[in-house]
Amino acid sequence: MLPKFFPGSAAHRVHRRGFLGAAAAAGVAADMTGLSVLGSPALAAELRRTQKRVILLFLAGGASQLETFDPKPGAPTGGPFRSIQTDVPGVRISELMPKLATRMKDVCLVRGLNTRIGDHGGGAKLMMRGRRDEANLRYPDLGAVVAREMGKPDSQVPDYVTFYTQTEGRGMTPGDSGFLGARYAPMELTTNNTPEFIRRLDSINDADHRERAELRDLLGRDFVQGRTSDTLGSHAEAYGRVRGIMGSERLFDVSQESQATRDKYGPTQFGQQALIARRLVEAGVPFVRVARAWWDSHGQNFETHQEMVPELDHVMSTLLDDLKDRGLRDDVMVVTLSEFGRTPNINASLGRDHFASAWSMSMTGAGAKGGAVWGRTDARGQTVTHEEVNAANLFATIYAALGISPHKNYYVGSRPIPLVDPGAEPIAALIK
Amino acid sequence: MPTPTPESFRPSADLSRPVINLSVALGDRPGRAFFGCSDFKVYEADLAAAKVEFTELHAAHGSYVTGVAFAAGSVVSGAYDGKLVWWDAAARRVVRTVDAHAKWVRKVIASPDGTLIASVADDMVCKLWNARTGAVVKELRGHAAQTPTHFPSMLYGVCFSPDGRKLATCDKVGKVVVWDTASGNQVGTVESPGMYTWDAVQRLHSIGGARSVAFSPDGRYLAVGGIGKIGNIDHLEGKARVEVFTVADGKSHWVWESDKYKGLMNRLAFAPDGSWLLAAGGAGEGHFEFLDVAAKRAKRQDKLTMHTHDFAHSADWSTVVYAGHNRVVVHKTA
Repeated sequence: MLPKFFPGSAAHRVHRRGFLGAAAAAGVAADMTGLSVLGSPALAAELRRTQKRVILLFLAGGASQLETFDPKPGAPTGGPFRSIQTDVPGVRISELMPKLATRMKDVCLVRGLNTRIGDHGGGAKLMMRGRRDEANLRYPDLGAVVAREMGKPDSQVPDYVTFYTQTEGRGMTPGDSGFLGARYAPMELTTNNTPEFIRRLDSINDADHRERAELRDLLGRDFVQGRTSDTLGSHAEAYGRVRGIMGSERLFDVSQESQATRDKYGPTQFGQQALIARRLVEAGVPFVRVARAWWDSHGQNFETHQEMVPELDHVMSTLLDDLKDRGLRDDVMVVTLSEFGRTPNINASLGRDHFASAWSMSMTGAGAKGGAVWGRTDARGQTVTHEEVNAANLFATIYAALGISPHKNYYVGSRPIPLVDPGAEPIAALIK
Repeated sequence: MPTPTPESFRPSADLSRPVINLSVALGDRPGRAFFGCSDFKVYEADLAAAKVEFTELHAAHGSYVTGVAFAAGSVVSGAYDGKLVWWDAAARRVVRTVDAHAKWVRKVIASPDGTLIASVADDMVCKLWNARTGAVVKELRGHAAQTPTHFPSMLYGVCFSPDGRKLATCDKVGKVVVWDTASGNQVGTVESPGMYTWDAVQRLHSIGGARSVAFSPDGRYLAVGGIGKIGNIDHLEGKARVEVFTVADGKSHWVWESDKYKGLMNRLAFAPDGSWLLAAGGAGEGHFEFLDVAAKRAKRQDKLTMHTHDFAHSADWSTVVYAGHNRVVVHKTA
């Protein structure tokens, strides 16, 4: 017996198990509200034109600016590591980063961050959103916004992927699409480097799965005839995306790369995830976060950074080189960011504690101006003396460097929500 | 002379300093002490004076001075700049600066007869130097440059046996190598992996390591100091730990973990008669312990007023000088 909503013609005969019912379709469509560009070809064209992508290397736990990008050798707060000259005249970074030192002409450095929130959870939320949530409003994070602005409506790859495979701090820093809804929620990888639940079930072979999709498309096209509905369009896109995302599993498979490439990134988890991130953005994924936890060196800060900063140096340098070699430098921005920095003061365990008053981040690629340095701290690294940057201005700058107007509004109901806090402006000196 | 008992040591001075005192060596007369510090300088102090003052000897280093020794009339210091500096005590000036190591120097000691200097650094090499001429005598290579998880390792500690014929070096992952001083050959290794915590799940990095070593006077034991396993490697919250091996067979004789104190055991030294082992170190606070190795028990565990990075003792053990975080503490036997 044919379901009653079939027109009954032989062309529409169902020869497999029934497809999803209207209720399920409506549930999916609700998440897709606002996605469909069926009614806006110009918008679709604009999205396809920009194609900027972001890899965020999130140094969870709070990496020390004094042992990375803003060293103070010889100061009482400076610690034991020296600074080295980079390929940008007058710019020195920690001796723990000799590879990045020869690539700083491509890196845009911000040293004057003062973001005021020194707890992991609050700091992470702020530095993933560029602003604090309101009591009744959850803002989308950087990944969700980039996914929204840069994602293609007909994309066959995920829009937002996040790796956070250590357990410390993970619960404080989930990806969050906020009011943008589930469509822009991240694909979260927390246990290994390959997403779960996108693999086709063993009980369904590929031909079977393809035929189901084709039948769905066929029935859907016939159903849509004579009917006008964004929901119907979103529904079709959703299923197209599902099959595409299922096919994107291979993007997470580093064995697809040559051994030489895999060796370049190195054997550590961070290196391998950075390689996957490159594969993803190369395939058009707008935003990938690779979280490298856990930098919270309350004790033995110098030992911890001596261990972890060389890894960051190597992985980031390899990633920048790889993107450049593949012609992606102008399209992919690599951001290093933490939830805060670390105290200039050295405690009795030779550790540094949380510090959000004067710390550093970097941006490389896309519209970020290579070789630019913004912000100066005092001789001990305790305060920002010039060109202080808050989270809002930082995010305005990131968006602007990606070609996204930071003054653009989203709407929650009828309320306009600007991308960044009102009054925040991008730092023009950091944008090409 | 009789060996002092652990109970006989009493605080004699507690001196505030504006720097982290990372290393200490005693000089050629009572009270004379030299300190390597976090302001990149080496200082001299007369701890027997009524008013102790710290006099800057030189600022020839470019980083933390983590090792200092007195031998052949010179103060020899080593630092995170990879250099060794000889300061001549008679001429009162720097007479030699050597690019000694490719990475950060962790410790500098003198041989018991004062003819050799030993330095260890994170290039994972122990070098022996002629204390008088500064010439390299031996380069000892036996520690892996990377940990098993592909991260840079560190070479933390070194000691001579009391007769100077052997040397021991210890690293981040708890490997200890015993060397023949004259030939530079490895004569044995022991492993103390309990000193090293690698967190593969929560934080994906490591902490700890074997930080100090000491031979017993009879050559029978080799003690290794560090920290026990740590749950939260953001902090030094593992128990203070010493593992003692029998040199003849390399087997573990005793593992001691403090029931009172946490943190690193940064320095070890046996009593002249071997009746106790003094260990000192710390985490947020400092502490010292006298351990009876033969009887396998702690004889005394007490606080120090600072995380202690090093100590030095007079030949007769009437004086122990502890160097640490913003303080220098002197203990004397009653």
